[in-house]
Amino acid sequence: MVLVLALGDLHVPHRAADLPPKFKSMLVPGKIQHIICTGNLCIKEIHDYLKTICPDLHIVRGEFDEDARYPENKTLTIGQFKLGLCHGHQVIPWGDLDSLAMLQRQLDVDILVTGHTHQFTAYKHEGGVVINPGSATGAYSSINQDVNPSFVLMDIDGLRVVVYVYELIDGEVKVDKIDFKKTSTSNSAP
Amino acid sequence: MVRKKVPEWMNSTMWSTAPPPPTNDDDFLRRSPSTKISSTGSNSVASRLNPAPPPSTASSVPSPSPRPRNGNNPGGSGEYGNSVGPSAEDLSRQAHLTAELSKKVINMKELRSLALQSLPDSLGIRSTVWKLLLGYLPPERSLWSMELKQKRSQYKHYKDELLTSPSEITWRLVRSKGFDNYELKSESRCMLSRSRITDEDHPLSLGKASIWNTYFQDTETIEQIDRDVKRTHPDIPFFSGESSFAHSNQESMKNILLVFAKLNQGIRYVQGMNEILAPIFYVFRNDPDEDSSSHAEADAFFCFVELLSGFRDFYCQQLDNSVVGIRSAITRLSQLVKKHDEELWRHLEITTKVNPQFYAFRWITLLLTQEFSFFDCLHIWDALLSDPEGPLESLLGICCAMLVLVRRRLIAGDFTSNMKLLQHYPTTNISHLLYVANKLRSKMLV
Repeated sequence: MVLVLALGDLHVPHRAADLPPKFKSMLVPGKIQHIICTGNLCIKEIHDYLKTICPDLHIVRGEFDEDARYPENKTLTIGQFKLGLCHGHQVIPWGDLDSLAMLQRQLDVDILVTGHTHQFTAYKHEGGVVINPGSATGAYSSINQDVNPSFVLMDIDGLRVVVYVYELIDGEVKVDKIDFKKTSTSNSAP
Repeated sequence: MVRKKVPEWMNSTMWSTAPPPPTNDDDFLRRSPSTKISSTGSNSVASRLNPAPPPSTASSVPSPSPRPRNGNNPGGSGEYGNSVGPSAEDLSRQAHLTAELSKKVINMKELRSLALQSLPDSLGIRSTVWKLLLGYLPPERSLWSMELKQKRSQYKHYKDELLTSPSEITWRLVRSKGFDNYELKSESRCMLSRSRITDEDHPLSLGKASIWNTYFQDTETIEQIDRDVKRTHPDIPFFSGESSFAHSNQESMKNILLVFAKLNQGIRYVQGMNEILAPIFYVFRNDPDEDSSSHAEADAFFCFVELLSGFRDFYCQQLDNSVVGIRSAITRLSQLVKKHDEELWRHLEITTKVNPQFYAFRWITLLLTQEFSFFDCLHIWDALLSDPEGPLESLLGICCAMLVLVRRRLIAGDFTSNMKLLQHYPTTNISHLLYVANKLRSKMLV
């Protein structure tokens, strides 16, 4: 039972001051085993804050990140699943499923986590699943001004994943759930 | 045969200022090097007195208990293997035990008094006897299989209910409701649909009724249990080491302690419970009967609960000062020592100011598991569990005997040396210790 927090596009301090307090009260240390971050934090203070929630932190570079050393893409294996991480501004058209599917095949991962659109989405295609955790602070994006803060928590348990989507809608935290599984550990394309 | 004791002549009663102590321990100790341990069936101390150094108390004290006293080296006690094979007494006891256990309805009183002098290791019956003494198995043999089945399935139920991870529980709910999980790699393309869930059902929930919240709150207990189990008896391969056997034993012990902690929110887990569980689990797991050994975890759980029920109050801090708390038990021990050996008591508590709490706390709360070697403990526990009034009475008796047996050194020592002695109690002949304890108790009843 591995808990993986996926979030990104915080844009602190330029577009938002901080995470919503209701989110911060839930994100306590000790519960989460990994954090994967799609980028655009943008400053070191947020990096440090995320480190306090969980020491195992993976970040990729968003176009506004002040730390230039984050990689463009990252892949990691958690349990039986391979996860891929990319900010998404490199994939054009932004948020397009086909292009993201191409990236996913290129990275050869089961679950691809990208951001940039500041909009939560979860798609499934032949190569796997694409998840966009949205913006954890509700910062505006170039395409969308009215953004609900959101992030994603994945519970990876053997061959099954439960994705919990946390959204702040009208000041209240709403949680949704998505389940999926894979049948075998081999990663051959169908 | 090397024994780390004061030389025999120092122990003689000649050196005492007061009249010799009521116990015969001095005379008893004197017999060893000079006389070959003869495996006679004789019952009184007098016949063993050797006529050499001061024969002051040549009084023959008839043994108070009506049972044949097994004062010699029993087949089991590790260190004193002087005897040439088991004595006739031992053999008769073994035969007696086997006969008793094979009856259809076991006479508990008989069994208790047989167990009082500790069970022989060779028979492999300890597991069954302990289960009977703790009330896990009823005396009627025919009811055993039914009882065992019921208890074992109850334990399995507890484990399922309390030890399943919240992930697992969530998936079972999903499956039972018939929801379809998405297959990761299938031909279709779609948006994954979401289902709204309540405030309690997600991992970050802080709600009181949330299974996730309870799960994370238990993490601290789980970690502590884990640490303690790993530290239990590191010298015994059964409990520690890299083998998969040791790991599975540790897993079982952790499960038992965790189920107990969750069922008893009042006391949860307290450090030391692992030490009390260790002998029980060891004995059950090493049962020569395959079936019993495989269910050792479930059996050990119930017996552990039973044993602990007499001592529960010692683990609750609020009850420390109450009539049932640990302080009162320590006071009782102190009173017991005073009654039997005033001189020792006075020297210990008044002159050298050795507060019994300094040593007796560990003796009592951990049931002497830390004071003797593991295998000696098993013998002591035979006697403890055989007490019909509960282990506490015997325990206090044995503690008193422990003090009396080293009275020479205690009286000769000051605070530091006494503390050192009592906190690292020297290795002793266990059967002798039990004999003395028994005598003390029967004296109390007189």
